[in-house]
Amino acid sequence: MTIADDLRLALIQADPRLSKFNPLPRILFYDDFDEGVHGWAELIGNHDGNLDNVRPIMADLRPPQLSSCTFFDIGTHGSVHGTYALKLATRAKANHMAQLIKRLTFVRQGLVQFETYFTYKAEQIFSRAKDDAAVWDGNFDPSETDFGDLTISNDVCEGHEGTRYHCALRYLNTDEHGKLVQKWLYKTSVQTSTKMHRAGIAPPAMDYHVQHPDDWREVPGGFQPLCYNEVPTKVNWHYLRWSFDTQTRRNTELQVNDLVMDLRDIPVPVYEVTYKGLSHLLNFCIDVRTHRNVRNFLYLDSVLVSVDW
Amino acid sequence: MRQSLTAVVERNVTFDAAFATEPYEAGWADEARWFIRVLEAAGEGAELVLHPQISPDGLFWCDEGSAPLAAHGPGLYSCALRDFGAWLRLRGEVHGEAASFKVVIALALKG
Repeated sequence: MTIADDLRLALIQADPRLSKFNPLPRILFYDDFDEGVHGWAELIGNHDGNLDNVRPIMADLRPPQLSSCTFFDIGTHGSVHGTYALKLATRAKANHMAQLIKRLTFVRQGLVQFETYFTYKAEQIFSRAKDDAAVWDGNFDPSETDFGDLTISNDVCEGHEGTRYHCALRYLNTDEHGKLVQKWLYKTSVQTSTKMHRAGIAPPAMDYHVQHPDDWREVPGGFQPLCYNEVPTKVNWHYLRWSFDTQTRRNTELQVNDLVMDLRDIPVPVYEVTYKGLSHLLNFCIDVRTHRNVRNFLYLDSVLVSVDW
Repeated sequence: MRQSLTAVVERNVTFDAAFATEPYEAGWADEARWFIRVLEAAGEGAELVLHPQISPDGLFWCDEGSAPLAAHGPGLYSCALRDFGAWLRLRGEVHGEAASFKVVIALALKG
C-alpha cells in the first residue's frame, strides 16, 4: 500500500455514500436513486420501427420506477440512504420478467466490478389458492414462495464484428412449483439474440438468458437463504458485489453478504457469430422474474461500478 | 434541475374489454401527464374511455376524479394530473360492438 492508496481508502471510508462499497481503483459510475434513474432504462428487443416486430420475450420488460418502498400496512419504508430506490416490477403473470439495462462502452479490457444494495419482494396478496400448501405460521410467510428469481448480467462485445458474450448469475428463490431453492446459478448457453431468432438458428426463447430453460447450473457453494423477513412489506437490504474480467471473458467473483463465490473456473458461453455495431459494448442488466401470477419486485438502493483500468 | 421521467406502460397492446394498466409509483413527481396513442380502432361505435386512478399503496384504487378521456379512433390523446399521491394507473373501458383499440400508453412525470 502506498500513501496514495491509504489516502484514497481513507477518503472512501469517510464518505457515507461510498464507505459501504469496496470499489476498484476507478469508479466508473455511482448511482444514488434519490437523484433519478441514472440511465437504467427498460430493455427492448430490436425492431425496425414497427414495435409489432419485437420478439415477445423482449417486448414487455417494464419501465424503471423510483420507489419510496411504500406498503399498505406501514406506508413508506424508504431506502438505505434517503427515500428512493430503483424498482423493477413484473406483471402478475407467471414467467413474466422485468429487466433494466445501463449502456456504456469500455475504454480498456480488464476487471469490472458491480456493487449494489438490493432487496426483493413479492406483492402482498390477500387470498391464497386453497391448494397452496404453504401456510403462515407467524414466522414463515407463504409470500416468500411467490418470489421467483433475480438475475444480474452483462453484455460485452469486444470490437467491430467482435466476439460477444453475456455473463449471467441468477438467484433462484423458487422452482416453477413454488418450492424454495435459494441458490445462485450460472448459465450454460448463449442468450438467443434477435439475429439468431430471425436467422432460424434458435427457437423462440422461453427464458430470456438462455436457449433452453434448463441451461443453468448451480454455482459451487451457492446455496444462500437470504433475509426475506417474513412478510411482503418488510425490506432488508443485502450487499452484492459481482466482478468480471473482460480480458478472460469470465466472471471472477460474486459476493452476497458473507458468501463469496469464486467464479473464475466457470465457463461463459460465447457466440459463434460476431456482431456488428457493438464495438466495445459494455452493458449492465438487472432483472426479476415471477414464477406465479403474483407481481415480483426488485429494489436497488444504489449502484457503484468500478474498474481496474 | 427538476427530474423528469417518461415510462411507456403499454406498448402496441390491443384491448377489447375493461382493463387497468400496471401500478406505477410516482410519489416523487409533482405533475403527471398520460399520453395515449391509439394506433388502431375497430368495431361498430367503438369508444375507449379512460379514467385516471390513484392509490396510496398500489393495491387499493379509486378514480382520481377528473373527467374521463374518450377516444373513438386513431390519434394522440392526453390528460394531466396533479396532487395525486403516490401511485398512478389508468382504468379503461371499451364500448361498442366487437370493439377493440390498439394503443401505446406513456406516463410523463416531472418533479
